[in-house]
Amino acid sequence: MEPWVVATTLIFVYLLATIVLGAVANRRMTVDMEDFLLYGRKAGFVVLYLTVVATFHSAFAFLGSGGFFYTHGIGFWAAGTWTLLVGAITYVLGPRIWAVGKAFGYITPADMLADFYESEAVRVAVAIVSVVFTILYIQVQAQGLGYIINVASGDRISFELGTLILLVVAAAYLMAGGLRAVYWTDVIQGVWMYLAVWIGAMYLAFELFGGPMELWQQVRAQRPDLLSLPGPRGFFTPGMWLGMTITLSFGIVFQPHMMIRYYTAVDARTLKVLGATTPIYLMTLYIPAALVGLGGAVAMPGLDVPDRIFPELLFAHAPPILTGVILAGATAAAMSTLDSILHANMSVLTRDVYQRYVAPDRTQAHYVMVGRTIVLALLVVGYVLSIQTFDFLVVLVTLSGAGALQLMPAVLGVCFPARRCLTRAAILAGLAAGLATLYLTLVAVPHPLGLHGGVWGLLVNGAVTLVVSGFTEPPSVETRARIHGEVERVVYGSS
Amino acid sequence: MPRTRDGWIATLAYVLLFLIAMPPVTHVLLDRPETWVAGVPLLFAALLLVYSGLVVVLVWALRRGV
Repeated sequence: MEPWVVATTLIFVYLLATIVLGAVANRRMTVDMEDFLLYGRKAGFVVLYLTVVATFHSAFAFLGSGGFFYTHGIGFWAAGTWTLLVGAITYVLGPRIWAVGKAFGYITPADMLADFYESEAVRVAVAIVSVVFTILYIQVQAQGLGYIINVASGDRISFELGTLILLVVAAAYLMAGGLRAVYWTDVIQGVWMYLAVWIGAMYLAFELFGGPMELWQQVRAQRPDLLSLPGPRGFFTPGMWLGMTITLSFGIVFQPHMMIRYYTAVDARTLKVLGATTPIYLMTLYIPAALVGLGGAVAMPGLDVPDRIFPELLFAHAPPILTGVILAGATAAAMSTLDSILHANMSVLTRDVYQRYVAPDRTQAHYVMVGRTIVLALLVVGYVLSIQTFDFLVVLVTLSGAGALQLMPAVLGVCFPARRCLTRAAILAGLAAGLATLYLTLVAVPHPLGLHGGVWGLLVNGAVTLVVSGFTEPPSVETRARIHGEVERVVYGSS
Repeated sequence: MPRTRDGWIATLAYVLLFLIAMPPVTHVLLDRPETWVAGVPLLFAALLLVYSGLVVVLVWALRRGV
């Protein structure tokens, strides 16, 4: 049997498995917003662990990271810094966000921020940022899926059709089973993608070089330019290293699909255990990516689209069945992020827009139905956006993360009780200034002075927020006591 | 700010280790492609060690109830 037949068949078997899981999840679902959108707030450690890591690692982990090592060299090992930071952020912020979410029934990040800052304008601004910047992320994942199925089928399934098929499958199981379906499929996806990338990388290392150590030696002999900073094209400057660390940690955690996961935990301790252990999975996934990217630069130089290095190496050197299993793993990586983003956008639009401003007093079943309709609309938007093609998925991920990063001052203001409180006017002014700066430093004059645009945006945002907070009205004493009191009670055990 | 002794230890250990994985340490001290440790470049080996240390700090904090 030809390799492309085996690879494509295995991907479709995998897709079928996710649809079956979605159907089973549908049978377990109760017609209730908390169940549909938040897994009933009862996600245990194993499910939450695998959904968080599978959601964090996306098409980028399989395609973009290998492509980045291939092009820019060892500097991409900086990836460990942002994965470790994600663990620490989860450890510190996770229990706080969980505590107030459970106590006051929050479903979206905007619920929490609007309640604390007593402002509908904050709700609208946060909802807009949540949706606008994560729609870019839908595009990234959809494009990754298109690449994977296009490569797996040997160009027999077009990029556009592949993207459409995979978007439809993700939307179908999300509509059927809500967040439960997303979490259950993420469990499979999280395990599959980790095994796939490790097995694939090790196979290639032994097949092409005789082992990982020999691979390193070949890189040293043939491409020493890939083993120093800032890399052959001068990308990994100190400013870029710092900027990517901040943007791809805080920026991704503050995206709605990650923050919503904190609400879904069964208890606060689960989130602490999660924070302490997720970096093990997240960071070690980049070790095989380094082998693929650096080894690929030696074994298969001159690729037009460096993001394709992993599948191209597999097709050239691995047996068809292994290639199929690994490409299904790559599909899992992209879909586990895509379904979570679709879910988060659905939650934001259903809860923060439709339920709040369009039809406030309808039944739970009505809102679940509206949520499913919104998923369909997002599918169309995501598909149209993804028809554009880009060489480096990571650049788009960075842009998405940089937008959500601008929510950082607002979230920290809720999570950390302090004598001097941030104000609603300051949050809105800071957000506006941060986003304007982001545009200037990512689009107009990219990364001034070598520092990532996302960090420039955050610096301006933080400064404006602090200054404006100095002369505007803070949230009421009652609200601060209620919300910060809950944080104190759960995190510090204070009464 | 941490409110306990263990909280302070965990925070300081994490921050200090994290700084080793950031510029200028990475670009000045660890960027030595001619130096190899255990079959891999110094930068890769050193950062792997630091990353592992950061995980240990988080697990230690968890066990101490920080």
